[in-house]
Amino acid sequence: MRLTMIVVSGLLLIAAAVPTTAIVGAPQAVPGRVTAEEILEGLPADGSRWLTFGGDFANQRHSPLTEITLENVDRLIPQWTFQTNTLDDFETTTLMRDNVLYVTGPSNTAWAIDARSGREIWSYRRELPLNLTACCGLVNKGFAMLGDKLYLATLDAHLLALDMSTGAIVWDATMEDYQVGYASTIAPLAVDGKIIVGVAGGEFGIRGFIDAYDAETGQRVWRFYTIPGPGEPGNETWSGDSWRTGGASVWVTGAYDPEQNLLFYGIGNPGPDYYGAVREGDNLYSASLVALDATTGELRWHYQFTPHDVHDWDATEVPILADIEIDGRLRQVVMFANRNGFYYTLDRTNGEIILAEPFVRTTWATEIGADGRPVLLPGNIPDEEGEITCPDLTGGTNFWPPTFDPVTQVFFVNARESCMTYYAWEQEYIPGQRFTGGAGERIRDDPEMPLYGALRALDPATGERLWEFRYPDPSSSGLLSTASGLIFSGDADGNLLALDSRSGELLWRYQMGSRLHGTSPITYMLDGRQHVLVPAGTTLTAWALPE
Amino acid sequence: MIWMRSLLTIAWLAGAVGASLAAQAPATTNPFEGEPDAVRTGMGLYRLNCADCHGVDARGVRGPDLTEVWASGRTDAGLFSTIRNGISGTEMGPRTGPRGPRDDEIWKMLAYLRTLATPTLTLSPTGDAPNGERIFRQNCSGCHRVMAVGGRLGPDLSRIGSSRSRATLVSTIREGARVQSDSGYAPVTLTTDSGQAMRGVTKNEDLFSIQIMAVEGRIQGFEKESLEALDKPTESLMPAFGRDRLSDSELDDLASYLETLRGFDPAVP
Repeated sequence: MRLTMIVVSGLLLIAAAVPTTAIVGAPQAVPGRVTAEEILEGLPADGSRWLTFGGDFANQRHSPLTEITLENVDRLIPQWTFQTNTLDDFETTTLMRDNVLYVTGPSNTAWAIDARSGREIWSYRRELPLNLTACCGLVNKGFAMLGDKLYLATLDAHLLALDMSTGAIVWDATMEDYQVGYASTIAPLAVDGKIIVGVAGGEFGIRGFIDAYDAETGQRVWRFYTIPGPGEPGNETWSGDSWRTGGASVWVTGAYDPEQNLLFYGIGNPGPDYYGAVREGDNLYSASLVALDATTGELRWHYQFTPHDVHDWDATEVPILADIEIDGRLRQVVMFANRNGFYYTLDRTNGEIILAEPFVRTTWATEIGADGRPVLLPGNIPDEEGEITCPDLTGGTNFWPPTFDPVTQVFFVNARESCMTYYAWEQEYIPGQRFTGGAGERIRDDPEMPLYGALRALDPATGERLWEFRYPDPSSSGLLSTASGLIFSGDADGNLLALDSRSGELLWRYQMGSRLHGTSPITYMLDGRQHVLVPAGTTLTAWALPE
Repeated sequence: MIWMRSLLTIAWLAGAVGASLAAQAPATTNPFEGEPDAVRTGMGLYRLNCADCHGVDARGVRGPDLTEVWASGRTDAGLFSTIRNGISGTEMGPRTGPRGPRDDEIWKMLAYLRTLATPTLTLSPTGDAPNGERIFRQNCSGCHRVMAVGGRLGPDLSRIGSSRSRATLVSTIREGARVQSDSGYAPVTLTTDSGQAMRGVTKNEDLFSIQIMAVEGRIQGFEKESLEALDKPTESLMPAFGRDRLSDSELDDLASYLETLRGFDPAVP
């Protein structure tokens, strides 16, 4: 019956691009496979796609599109709104290809959506066990795509390959046992035929790692433990057996430098978070940036931002790569605004510090010394009585993506000004239970320690602040910048904002009804018009200028 | 592999213990009271789960002061039930299911709270509550609502007797209320572009707009750029009632009346 139908309506099938090429013999009709070259190219000038978490491997999130300008951005109108009908919110970056949007939602939901109409093409939902250990919301930060597949990390610590055309599972790889504290919320990265992922669980006494899986088969190719085992360099930075439960999770997507074949990933806090007496030493590679050989997973270099962290300052912020001029020399750098309150420009070939400057109020260290270590101030070790430190545990910034304009060479980040009373106490490790050894109480309504946020433009060659746009409450929105000089952000109160990236002047706003929490807008061309796509709360809204 | 098997055993044992605990009726007195390790664990659990609302010192922030709950007559079993099941119609929701605390964890939190508890009420209930109610109607009910009667500018006090200690009530009335900026009761004055001056409390606010309740009770919002003036005084709209306005004896009567406002039947433990 089916064969008859295919024979009769063969031409129609070709036009509709149904993958039955073995019968109808029209390979050009199959949806184009996502190639490694396309991803490497990043955001193309024609605006036809957004294929990886940061837009490109450098994570710059800077679009070449210029149809929406400083002058006309206030004429943006909504094209459609998509609702997830879920309880929890988006934390995702949407991918776009062939006029189809691929978006992940909370509780491991996902959709393919027609970019023209906002109508669903397929949906995916993974039934999750009730006893998940994911610490901080049932969230997900997005897909990776390669070939004809999408890749999704799951809250029960699996990595799935889904068929891009149907959402059906192609393979399912178990990363680790969720019942002992492992989870995964990261957007995977597709590099050189491999899918790179990491695990969350830093509050549950896990031993963190970064994995690479074969994109076709789901076989694990390598694993890099973010805490070295006995006999490996760095294991001596953990007292006793503390390395076994030291956390150092990996839940934010890194960057990739194809010239060096290096991956750059920020590593989470050591555990227990606040009670450091049971894990004496620097606790490598927690709160560090690691540079790994993408083929083998071997460590090329590392830089630890916060040795022996006791404030839950995961270095799980988004690293951005660029080549910038510093003191008359073109330097290959990785830029990093850290939760600990310092902004860093590092030489990405060797991890050497080029500069490190506070970008928010920091009371725990005066500066980063010539040896690369923070110069500590007393009175910042949490105890049962509590110690006040700035920034708070959420940090000077966090996992929401910053952006970088390669033409003006300016780094933009949503920063937080906040202080906290940190408490610590000894806690027994029980597998699968929270293992933080402390807590924090944010300081409010104190004029000496005001709580607010700001979008800040930083010069990565000097650390100097070029401008800021203040929010009454700290924003957790990711950013998008464009070649026309726009920057899109969101505030904590649900306003979507467009600003002039050269001055910080506010140009346009719209009340979305929910904050953009960890999500970033993306932009692309569709039928000759530039669109801006914004995930906020449980809605996805596409914007464009009037036709 | 041996390591994996032992982990599985631990996980199975933990599940079995959890199931047997869940199957039993909770104890009526705290099995962990006074045990130093339990108190320490309870402190951690309290700070993680409760301190945001009740304060690190348990003297109340958005949620009630917990240091006088035993002195005011609550029992271990009653408090256990409050933590587990929550209080209907309040921010204190139920804590059940796999992500909720285990029975032993609730008891440990209570064991810790017991170390912060006052043995007797800071101020003994004296005074004439019916006279206190008359004083309340004359001085307070213009702004405060009790059981659906009264004004709306200040917080509803229908449950104030169970959420604030007598000492806190007395000091707040004498010295005036301290108001948090995001509480919904922070004072505001503004002038519209037509020159109309308004006074009230801030219900919500963002960078571009503000939503207020004016003193006469009307709620409305304004675009900030359309306002001629916007000011946020730090002093609460609730005045301090010094002895010139309220004698010690009247204050005693008023506090006694407020302590009867519990929103539930105080005969239930």
